[in-house]
Amino acid sequence: MPIESKAELSDGIDTEEFNSGFEDRSKSDWMARSDGRMEFKGESEPSFPEEEVLEEKIRDPLEPLNRIFFHINDRLYFWVLKPVASGYQKVFSKEVRIGVSNFFSNIATPIRLVNCVLQANLKGAATEALRFLINTPFGLFGFLDPAQKEFGLEKREEDLGQTFGVWGFGPAFYLEWPILGSSNLRDTLGYIGDLFLDPITYLPSTPIRIGLKTYEKVNETSLRLGEYEDFKKVVLDPYIAKREAYHQNRKYKIKERK
Amino acid sequence: MSLIRLWILFLLLFGMTTPLFSGEPQEQLQQTTDKVLAILSDPNLKSPEKAKERRELILRVVDERFDWEEMARRCLARHWVQRTPEEKREFIHLFKELLQQVYMDKVEAYSWNKIQYEGETIDGNYGTVKVKIFTSKEQPIRVEYRLLKKGPHWLVYDFSIEGISMVNNYRTQFNEIIVKSSYRELIKRLKTKVSQP
Repeated sequence: MPIESKAELSDGIDTEEFNSGFEDRSKSDWMARSDGRMEFKGESEPSFPEEEVLEEKIRDPLEPLNRIFFHINDRLYFWVLKPVASGYQKVFSKEVRIGVSNFFSNIATPIRLVNCVLQANLKGAATEALRFLINTPFGLFGFLDPAQKEFGLEKREEDLGQTFGVWGFGPAFYLEWPILGSSNLRDTLGYIGDLFLDPITYLPSTPIRIGLKTYEKVNETSLRLGEYEDFKKVVLDPYIAKREAYHQNRKYKIKERK
Repeated sequence: MSLIRLWILFLLLFGMTTPLFSGEPQEQLQQTTDKVLAILSDPNLKSPEKAKERRELILRVVDERFDWEEMARRCLARHWVQRTPEEKREFIHLFKELLQQVYMDKVEAYSWNKIQYEGETIDGNYGTVKVKIFTSKEQPIRVEYRLLKKGPHWLVYDFSIEGISMVNNYRTQFNEIIVKSSYRELIKRLKTKVSQP
């Protein structure tokens, strides 16, 4: 995959450039809708709801560097992670691997619980606390998920990046990290903060910490083999598609919290 | 334990918003998904030699509900008006091929355990329908369909999966390719994609 060399050092959200094609239309062609959005009512073209035309794009001043890391991550996946995860997948059944995934997720409860509290989401915090209190003793230390299966208590995927978002901080700009993948400035700071809430951080030896994190990554990948390949099949520029998907998904998660 | 159950029941009730009735967009979308699910679960169409027939049946059902031109137009956005009618036709065709290739694989591969309707909004000719799709995987997938009313029909012109809008995502990619190279280059890349499944 070619790495685009042309840097786009835009210093703002470039919706203006993006929408320049609509500029010639007179203001009266835009009508306010009941929900406050604007809708195009002109004769020349059918209407576009406003949020699609003026969608906020994420700034990407480090695009050339990000693309290099994207390329490295892409190779890492195909040359290292995928072969290892495929071998692992052949040895352990899906039930076991989902159990391992649940176990790591159960350990990481403090991250989700504290962030629910920081977002003043007490229902979410209660859900996370209950999930931990049910799954640890009755679900083999979190390998099983009776809280979800028996009580319909869904996990609340909250993290500090989202909390900052709820507090009103924007993503600043996009970042692609080696190994860690898609992020932005806000979520990177959040990730670092979340490390303090992650019990694995407090294990005494560094090789054990890194080993556990690596194992978790291999286990997660073994449950998602083929997804990245499928994604690459449907997109024309995987870097941009991944960047936009990350940005939209994060905005959605911040907005949809309950 | 019964106390916990009561507590949880309370939490669940607290968070529940069940629509008392469903409007036209959801009704029509539901007809389409029900038809697709019926085809997928039809034992007569399960054998490998029937795979092609089954796919065509599904495509016909999906075709009735999806407005490919509207999707293509929104994905090209400001570049759409600069296209000749022939270019538009070619683009719609390629775009449809690309989407069908991908999403048909997904539709056929997944075990659709349940589709739960989570509510709809109607604003003039625009509508959204939210659904939660339960597959064999752990977490349900949240999908929002966007529909536009044309005559008596509500037609899908975009959908977003976990907040990622299909139209938005393609529009950004298409725009970058056109701006950095050309429209021709975009068509070239689309053709390569569609020809290699």
